[in-house]
Amino acid sequence: MNDRRLAWLFVTPALATIALIAIFPLGWTVWESLHRHDLRMPWLGKPFIGLGHYIDIVSDPRFWGAMNHTLFFTIASVSLELLFGLFLALAMNRAFRGRGAVRAAILVPWAIPTVVAALLWRFLFTAHGGATWFTDARLAWIPVIVADVWKTTPFVALLLLAGLQNIPDDLREAAAVDGATRFAQLRHVVLPLLRPAILVALIFRTLDAFRVFDLVYVLTGGGPGTATEPIALYTFNTLFQNLRSGYAAALSVVVFAVTFAIAIVYIRVLDPKELS
Amino acid sequence: MSRLALLLLIPLLACARDEGTVLTISGSTLGKEGQLLRRQIDRFRQANPAIEVRIQETPDDATQRHQLYVQWLNAHVGTPDVLQLDVIWTAEFAAAGWILPLDQFRPDVRDFFPATIDANRWRGRLYALPWFVDVGMLYRRTDQVAAPPRSIEEIDRTFVWQGARYEGLVTVFLEFLGAYGGHVMADDGRVTVSSAAGVRALTLMRDLIRRGITPREALTWHEEECRFAFQNGRATYMRNWPYAVEAMNGSAVAGRFAVSPMPAAPGGRPTAALGGAPLAINAWSEHPDAAYDLIAFLTAPEQMEERLAMVGQYPSRMSLYDESSDVRPIIEAATPRPVTPIYAELSDQLQIWLHRALAGEVEPRVALDQAARAMQRLVDEAGLR
Repeated sequence: MNDRRLAWLFVTPALATIALIAIFPLGWTVWESLHRHDLRMPWLGKPFIGLGHYIDIVSDPRFWGAMNHTLFFTIASVSLELLFGLFLALAMNRAFRGRGAVRAAILVPWAIPTVVAALLWRFLFTAHGGATWFTDARLAWIPVIVADVWKTTPFVALLLLAGLQNIPDDLREAAAVDGATRFAQLRHVVLPLLRPAILVALIFRTLDAFRVFDLVYVLTGGGPGTATEPIALYTFNTLFQNLRSGYAAALSVVVFAVTFAIAIVYIRVLDPKELS
Repeated sequence: MSRLALLLLIPLLACARDEGTVLTISGSTLGKEGQLLRRQIDRFRQANPAIEVRIQETPDDATQRHQLYVQWLNAHVGTPDVLQLDVIWTAEFAAAGWILPLDQFRPDVRDFFPATIDANRWRGRLYALPWFVDVGMLYRRTDQVAAPPRSIEEIDRTFVWQGARYEGLVTVFLEFLGAYGGHVMADDGRVTVSSAAGVRALTLMRDLIRRGITPREALTWHEEECRFAFQNGRATYMRNWPYAVEAMNGSAVAGRFAVSPMPAAPGGRPTAALGGAPLAINAWSEHPDAAYDLIAFLTAPEQMEERLAMVGQYPSRMSLYDESSDVRPIIEAATPRPVTPIYAELSDQLQIWLHRALAGEVEPRVALDQAARAMQRLVDEAGLR
C-alpha cells in the first residue's frame, strides 16, 4: 500500500503540470464560452448566458460554412498527400545511387515555415493567371490545396518510408515467386503491412488539416467573401478582429470537441498493437 | 542578504528619478511620417521643457493597432497617453470609457471641417481632435479624358478601386451608395443599407467588374495595388485617398492626372468617404492636461501645414485651404461612416456580403438583405437602438 502511495506521490508533479498546462486553459475556455464577453462593449459587462453561444453557433451560417470548408480541405488535401506520399515512399525505398541525398532533399518543403511557403505560392499563382485564382469562390481552393500538398507530402512520405523499411523483402520475393504481379504484390503484401504507418500519417495529417490556419490566412485571407474560411480562421477573426471573447471561446470549444472526436475514432480504429 | 535589499531598492530609485511629466504618444512612426512626428515633438519639447515625450511604436496596420489598443485600454493601462486613432474607432473607445471627453479642455473647433468634428463626437461630447483628413476622390488621366464624368454611371474606361475584403471596400461602397442617395444606417439605429439605392450602387459596382471596366483582380486590391495599376498606365480612373497625389508625383503619370469628387448618380449627390486620424487621450493617463497640450500643439495650423508639405496628409482646418483648392470642396462634401461603437463589426459583415456579391456568388439584393439582417442583429444585441 505504501508503495502505491509513493507511486502517486511521484507522478503528482507530472499530473499537476498536465493539469496546469492542458486542463486549466481548457476549463477556462469552457467557462469563458458560457459568458457574453465582448471586449468592444464593456458596458454590457460579462453576463453568464449558459449555453447561449452554443445555441447561436447552431444557427450561425458562417460557422457551418467554415466547418464545411474545413472538412472539404481536410479530405482533399489529406487524400492527395497520402497518394503522392505513397508514390514518393515507394520510389525512395528502392536502392539507387544518391538515395540519402534525395531523402534529405525531399524534406525541403516540409522544413520551410508555412507562412513563407504560403507567400511563395501566392506569388506563383499571382504571376500565372493574376488574381483570378483568388477572386473565384471555387478556384481559390486550388492554391490552398496545392500549397498544402506540396508542403506536407514529404512528411507523409517519410512516415510511410519508415513503414516500408519494416517490411521484410522476403515477403515480396515469396509473392513474386508465387507469380504475383508487381501491382498484386503492392496490393496484397505491401499495403496491408503498411496499414499502421498509413494510419499514423492519417491521424497526424487529419488533425493538422482540421486546424489549418496560417496557409489560408496568407493565401486567400478566407476570401472571396468567406468562401475559403476554415473554422480556425473564423475563430481567430471572432477573437482578434471582432474581439468577441465569449463567442470565440465557444467556437474553440467546438473545434476542440471535433478534433477530440476524430482522434478517438482513429484510436478506436487503430489496434494498439499495430501502433507499436 | 544585503544584495537582495539592493535589488529591491533599484525599482524605487528608478521611480524617484522619473519626477517630471513623461508623455507617451503612439501612432504612425514609419518613414517620413515618423520623421515628421519626431521633428514636431522636438519643437513641442523646446516649448515645454518640463514635459518629456516618448513615442511608442505600434503596428502600422490599422487592424493590428486596434487590437493592441483594445488590449491596453481594456487592461486600464495608462500609456500611451495620447493615441492616434482611426476616425472609425472614436465612438467605440468613447462608449467604452477608454478615452477622455475633450470638452473640459474647451477646444476651439470652429476652424475644423464640421464633418470631421461630428465623426469624433459620441452622445454629444467631443472625444478626439482630427489630426489629418482623408477623403475618397476620383483620379483621372487628363491625357485620356478631358473632363471628369458627370455621373458615376458614365464611367466607361478602366476604373480601379479597392475591392479586397477590408475596410477600404466599405468606403468605396459608401461613395457609390451616396451617389445614389442611400445611407448605411439611419440616425435611430435602423440599418438601411438594403434600400433601392443600395441595390443600385452594388449592382453598378458588380457590373463594372462584369463588363471588364474594373479588372476582376481588383477584388484583391487595396490602395497601393490600385495606385500601381493607375501609375503604370493600366487605368483611366482610380478611386483613392489623397496620399496618392504626392505618391505619384514622381511617377510616369506625373502631371497627367487630376482629381475630382467621386461623381453622383441619378437621385444622389457626390459623396466622399471621410477618413483620417484623430488624436485622443487615454482615460487612464496620469497627465491628461499635458496630453491635451500635446494634442493642441500637433493639431495647430503650423504643424498641419508642415504635415501636408512633408507627407501629403490633408489638414482638418478649413483656414489652411485657399479658395481655388480642388480638395476643399471634396472634404466639405465628405460623409462620415456610421458613428457607432460597433462600427467594426458592422463593417465586417458588410465587407463579407459586398465581396460575395462582387465575386458573383450572390445577387446584390440578396447580399444587402443578408448584410442588413446581420448588421441589425448586432445593433440590437448591443442595445444601441
